Amino acid sequence: MRTARKRQLSAYVALFPAFVIVLFAYVATVGWNIWISFTDSKLLPVNTFIGTKNYERLFNTARWDISVINVVVFGVLFIAGCLVLGFLLAVALDQRIRFENTFRTIFLYPFAMSFIVTGLVWQWIMNPTLGLQSSADAIGFSWFRFDWIVQNDRAIYVIVLAGIWQSSGLVMAIMLAGLRGIDRELWKATRIDGIPAWRVYLHIVLPILRPTIITATVLLSISVVRVYELVLATTGGGPGISTEVPGKFIMDYLFGRSNIGLATSAATVLFIAVVIVVVPWLYAEYFREKRRGIV
Amino acid sequence: MRRLLTAFLGATALLSIAVTGAHADGKKAEVLHWWTSGGESAAVGELANVFNAAGGQWVDTAIAGGGSTARPVGLNRILGGNPPSAMQFNTGTQMNDLADQGLLRPLDDIAEQGKWKDVLTPAFYNAIQYKGHIYGAPINDHGYNWIFYSKPVFEKAGITEEPKTWDEMFADLNKIKAAGLIPVAVGGQPWELQSMFNNILLGEGGRDIYLKIWKDQDTAAVKTDKFKHVAEIFAKLRNYQDVGSPNRDWNVATGMLIDNKAGIQFMGDWAKGEFIHANKVVGKDFGCILGPGSSTFMMGGDIFVFPILKDAVAADAQTLLANTIMSKDGQLAFNSKKGSIPIRLDVDTSKLDLCAQKGIEAVKDPNRSVLSYDVLAPQDIVQSNTDLIAQYWTNPSMTTDQFVQQWVQLMEQAK
Amino acid sequence: MMSALTNSAQRGRKPARLSPGRVGLYCFLVVSAAFFLLPLYVMVVTSLKAMPEIREGNIFSLPQMWTVEAWSQAWSSACTGLDCGGIRVGFWNSVRILLPSMVLSIFIASMTGYALSFWRVRGANVLFAVLLLGAFIPYQVFIYPLVRIYATIGIYSTLPCIIITHTVFGLPILTLLFRNYYGSLPEELFRAARVDGAGLWQIFFKLMIPMSIPMLVVAAILQVTGIWNDFLFGVVFAGRENLPMTVQLNNIVNSTQGEKLYNVNMAATILTALVPLVVYFGSGRWFVQGITAGAVKG
Repeated sequence: MRTARKRQLSAYVALFPAFVIVLFAYVATVGWNIWISFTDSKLLPVNTFIGTKNYERLFNTARWDISVINVVVFGVLFIAGCLVLGFLLAVALDQRIRFENTFRTIFLYPFAMSFIVTGLVWQWIMNPTLGLQSSADAIGFSWFRFDWIVQNDRAIYVIVLAGIWQSSGLVMAIMLAGLRGIDRELWKATRIDGIPAWRVYLHIVLPILRPTIITATVLLSISVVRVYELVLATTGGGPGISTEVPGKFIMDYLFGRSNIGLATSAATVLFIAVVIVVVPWLYAEYFREKRRGIV
Repeated sequence: MRRLLTAFLGATALLSIAVTGAHADGKKAEVLHWWTSGGESAAVGELANVFNAAGGQWVDTAIAGGGSTARPVGLNRILGGNPPSAMQFNTGTQMNDLADQGLLRPLDDIAEQGKWKDVLTPAFYNAIQYKGHIYGAPINDHGYNWIFYSKPVFEKAGITEEPKTWDEMFADLNKIKAAGLIPVAVGGQPWELQSMFNNILLGEGGRDIYLKIWKDQDTAAVKTDKFKHVAEIFAKLRNYQDVGSPNRDWNVATGMLIDNKAGIQFMGDWAKGEFIHANKVVGKDFGCILGPGSSTFMMGGDIFVFPILKDAVAADAQTLLANTIMSKDGQLAFNSKKGSIPIRLDVDTSKLDLCAQKGIEAVKDPNRSVLSYDVLAPQDIVQSNTDLIAQYWTNPSMTTDQFVQQWVQLMEQAK
Repeated sequence: MMSALTNSAQRGRKPARLSPGRVGLYCFLVVSAAFFLLPLYVMVVTSLKAMPEIREGNIFSLPQMWTVEAWSQAWSSACTGLDCGGIRVGFWNSVRILLPSMVLSIFIASMTGYALSFWRVRGANVLFAVLLLGAFIPYQVFIYPLVRIYATIGIYSTLPCIIITHTVFGLPILTLLFRNYYGSLPEELFRAARVDGAGLWQIFFKLMIPMSIPMLVVAAILQVTGIWNDFLFGVVFAGRENLPMTVQLNNIVNSTQGEKLYNVNMAATILTALVPLVVYFGSGRWFVQGITAGAVKG
């Protein structure tokens, strides 16, 4: 009995730092955020209550509507693209190839670099007068068109491309760690049974990797909701305001545009949307299973 | 593993013994600003030299990214109890909230002593005040509404004179197009487009309508025919840019003039820095126009505000700094490297370049100068307006009427 | 290609024969590598040109006149304000921030992930849920409240302040990582250790940590990147004496009204990225396979 209680206590101790952080950093911030969204805060946070005025203005702002649509489109394409490419790269790297270190670093380095400058480089590459299109033109391929970045309705795909470039490497690293954790006995067994490789990957490996895939998806989703630098550096939200995203909206109004009230209202709306999507999944994933924990 | 961990934690503890807090010995002043390029650094260096020579000690905290990065950092330092001695702001309404909360030191006594009222234009003297007290020490005067042009391109297109009206301007732009070059080097970032629009509004629309819209927030002025005419000129210019303009940096656009690929660029006087860096000479390789239409000078600039410091010695350093900033020596030294013009009207400006001289001449006449839109109006309106103009520029299907209507709506929403 | 995949995955040594499948595999890798390397190529090439050549706008062309001027400028003489000392000014500060932050954040996260994964504690799942939801909030929103909290405690603008901040922000994702990883480990191991009488901490240090080497590597990669490249937290929370290298990088790259030296910007960015890159490259030996092989029989 006493050891059981001692273990319970140890578990509480282990979770204590996380608890403190959650309470003081996360709960406090969300609470503060919601409160300030109902105040008239401009450059500085103040406590003058003004009801839902910020929210009314938010939903009347064209830029916010555009931002929301963009983040959904971006999110779906970006997550799908990163997962697929990351998985394929991880499988490829798992094949005992030469130069594994080199390839792995090549796929990971985008993640290491400050995107403000790498985003600028993508901007140059995709600019019709500076980049691929003009180079193709110069060597005679004038039929080659790659000017999405200057088109209102296509520019968002440019951001998806740059995002996949930046983040697939990380997904690859996570998947590779997962793949490397698979018991090597498995491969022997499947070979003896004569199952073709693609079947093995699809029906056996992927299910084993489920937690890894989920981790990667959650990570990517977090990047999607928070996306800011990617858009800032590649298109600046343009052409015009056609590639604006909520993360940039919040950041701009919080700092440069000196309207903390509007920024926090946008952040609150974003947060509520995230809660609505994430909580059911969290419940299904972690709350229903009671397979662990024998204190 | 455990031992390694302990070692790390021990090392962390040792490393964490850091001394913090702003304590001032002598006349130490920590100055927070966003001047970080080569040219700007030289300008700051000049000002710091004057300050140090007068007994001060300049401690530099530079954070690039202008208002959106440096200002929040400074704000948070003030809120967190670790304020710098002085902070750079742009002239105008930005400092109002801080002054309102009582976080800034009023400079009335220093201004009285230095007779600031006599040496500043009325417009600027008003701009540094809030509710009757002075809070900002201005350092410079940037001209926002220049049109720079490449002389070789003009020559090639057969243009012999600077255009004085917008009809002449369009005729010239057509000539440049016919010569196979790009008429207007546009940087498609929203703030650049907004700057371009207001350049035309001031030049073609005139001082009155400009002030009605930005200073008085008069929505009736937006609905006039004159405004519509300006909006139409702006829209027409869409046809004179090149296809790569979206999100282009202003420096790259200036580069197009430097390389004689494009004819004109709407930009502020800081663009001179790019020309000078590329060894181009004003008057020979490039020129500058105030206009077309009325040649009113749109002014803005940088000021320093002073958070309240408890330490008496530190406050002394602030006084010295404020005086240095407004001194003739300080202003001349700083502005000669910065490309802007001194804000004091009694500084000897004979050595400054041709474009600066044009600006100074305009500043001396109160009717030929006006504060820039982001000084006159609250940031909120200015920034939301940026989005609208950017939308208008990139959506040819947006009509002038829709544009006007949304502008009015914007102004009413922000009230 | 298919047979190549299963063959090679199970054998211990690299296949010597170059089958068509193998060739296809390498083709895929090389094409992918080209896609990833394209911007780097532009960056390196730009950093080796002088500004007049860059202004002409041929971003893919090799330099007509090679010069490493931009690199030395970026490292030691680029202007970042009044001082013109390049990015090396902040290098040791970045290190001083990185090491403790990494250790602390990974330690707390793995401990939390472990406790959440194996021990039934009341309310733990709620804790985890709130933590994860918090990760979705754009981090700039945290600045104002955190400044107030730190100022009240009295540690604002110090090294511990920035270390704690990095721990706070690393916690959600790292905890998720570790929790999922531990969740995928066989429970028999854990039960066997419990039967042997081991306590929570013993199991953690003696069993879990050694088994989570691949995840520690991934966590290290995430943290090194996030912390080394962090700018906003460093500039707000670290205090003037501890400003990381990214502040100088930002000052070089983001000057608003001054001239932009693109070659210096590129060089500075690459230089700043070298530390995470070295970590990536060196992490190879930890991506070993078969950690659990042989540990569980049947």
